[in-house]
Amino acid sequence: MASLTSTTAAAVARPARRRSLTVRASATSVKLSGRPLKVAVVGGGPAGGAAAETLAKGGVETILIERKLDNCKPCGGAIPLCMIDEFSLPLDLIDRRVTKMKMISPSNVAVDIGRTLGPDEYIGMVRREVLDDYLRSRAKAAGAEVVNGLFLKFDAPQERNGPYRIHYNHYDGVKGERGERRTIEVDAVVGADGANSRVAKEMGAGDYEYAIAFQERVRIPEEKMEYYRERAEMYVGDDVSPDFYGWVFPKCDHVAVGTGTVTHKADIKKFQAATRLRARDKIEGGKIIRVEAHPIPEHPRPKRVSDRVTLVGDAAGYVTKCSGEGIYFAAKSGRMCAEAIVEGSANGTRLIDESDLRKYLEKFDKMYWPTYKVLDVLQKVFYRSNAAREAFVEMCADEYVQKMTFDSYLYKRVVPGNPLDDIRLAVNTIGSLVRASALTREMKKITL
Amino acid sequence: MATFAQIPSSLSFSTKPLTKSSLFLIPKRPTLLSFHPIKSGITTSTSTVSPSLDQKLEVNVATHEAKLEVPKRFNDPRWVKGTWDLDQFVKNGRTDWDAVIDAEARRRKWLEEYPEATDTDQMVFFDTSIIPWWAWIKRFHLPEAERLNGRAAMIGFFMTYFVDSLTGVGIVDQTSNFFCKTLLFISVFGVLFVRNNEDIENLKKIIQETTYYDKQWQATWQDDSSPDSKK
Repeated sequence: MASLTSTTAAAVARPARRRSLTVRASATSVKLSGRPLKVAVVGGGPAGGAAAETLAKGGVETILIERKLDNCKPCGGAIPLCMIDEFSLPLDLIDRRVTKMKMISPSNVAVDIGRTLGPDEYIGMVRREVLDDYLRSRAKAAGAEVVNGLFLKFDAPQERNGPYRIHYNHYDGVKGERGERRTIEVDAVVGADGANSRVAKEMGAGDYEYAIAFQERVRIPEEKMEYYRERAEMYVGDDVSPDFYGWVFPKCDHVAVGTGTVTHKADIKKFQAATRLRARDKIEGGKIIRVEAHPIPEHPRPKRVSDRVTLVGDAAGYVTKCSGEGIYFAAKSGRMCAEAIVEGSANGTRLIDESDLRKYLEKFDKMYWPTYKVLDVLQKVFYRSNAAREAFVEMCADEYVQKMTFDSYLYKRVVPGNPLDDIRLAVNTIGSLVRASALTREMKKITL
Repeated sequence: MATFAQIPSSLSFSTKPLTKSSLFLIPKRPTLLSFHPIKSGITTSTSTVSPSLDQKLEVNVATHEAKLEVPKRFNDPRWVKGTWDLDQFVKNGRTDWDAVIDAEARRRKWLEEYPEATDTDQMVFFDTSIIPWWAWIKRFHLPEAERLNGRAAMIGFFMTYFVDSLTGVGIVDQTSNFFCKTLLFISVFGVLFVRNNEDIENLKKIIQETTYYDKQWQATWQDDSSPDSKK
């Protein structure tokens, strides 16, 4: 999009075809005189908070616009260990440490995974309002300006190096609900405003397919809560969801029972009822204290950068398939985007352009593409039908599978194991799938 | 506050919007809610049940509850403590694996039709891999293999005859010919992959599926070459 008038040694621009991650050298950036680069981060969730903090630390003048500072975003709330390390999160942010997970197949075959976890390994469950607030306060401490406001639209720059003019409703210290309409001028915009991103709409990023995640928070009696103290459950089956899973996740003092779907959104209530039925004995006597739903993107938007506007987190569509994990990738993409901006602007002294933002996209895609692809393949293979789900749960009983699953989830790395183990795993997987589909063919012949 | 009823699907509430971003339900009395799926997390959907509908709905709830009581939990004398008791499947002094396969198929069918609550006291842990590999092969693979081999043989015989009548090349000479070997390759794989009419469509869909996700990720790089294209 940015035209090339390169006077510096430029990298060769290959035409972008099938699998190209092209990098173009930026044009000689304009040196900003007398002021640092100014960037607006729209949205104050994990992506926005992480981006704002890194930008502010790098010497960029940052303004973070968040519409609801006490927002309790409906969310599973699970974060991997690597996020705690990489973002130096204090451990008191974590309400619960899940060390046991139960996978339950359509025919209620239950498998416990977590035997391979070490004593210090767990899945952290957080409350989004607590996590988001913490990241925002860190951004503020680093020098970012946190504003309570609702982003409305932006005006594209009039000339090539001109500013973006952002229109928003300012709520801070303003009486009344509507707030006060204000405008600010910034050099770049980072859209971190989630699945229904307005920034994405403004920049013409295109649409994505999305799942609806529906969740009920249930306060259950103390003795039943003991069962869920360190345990999360995952239910798979056509009754619970045709393309996702139902879950029971423990929160601080209650459990969240929910399910999701992409293809059958109108039946979500039916799926929720089925999830409650499967967990019935364990949540009996519970009171529903909250019902919430939210869209979850299924894949990245067609366009994630346009001139000096880019997207991070859910707004960009960085949610994995199969597990639906988004918090870590949101925060990481926010940080990577901010790092690219800081680098491209030489710590806020030069204006950036689209190629700097494309560097962030390239880095993110390269680092996490294998993770996304593997989870996509797993979803396609194992969430296909009840037979595949039975095979999936059967495979989860294998220790090697558990170790690899947790390694790749907790640390976002795949440690290459013994090739013999891999072959054995492949043989067992095929065996499970074949047995399950053979049973399904038998099932078709039966009439109850 | 409504507590969790035995029949969760008849649980219902009237709603009151609290904030602009979340749906908060305050259950008042047992009435059926007609729920519209929430389109986005930001807007709320509200529906209130008018008092005049209550009486009608109470009756519906009662009959609905009655209907749901009918399917019993899965019950089989050979299903003991979350697994199949193999001692009960003995025939002629040996375990009748075919019967185990039949029993498990029936159990899965039952649970697919009438999903059940998981039992905390007794977890199901039956694993199909306890049924030995040869039982699976004998039951499922062999009939299918016979069918496919039969097809391959018929195709093979007639193709050989046809090629012989056209070119005069006999069966022994055909096997060393590259073109004939290609035809053989195509026939064998055709028979393996296209077993039913639906398979042709399924194969096309699978090929498209494997690269679809990749295309979605590459989309942001495509506009390098086509600046005015917008998906």
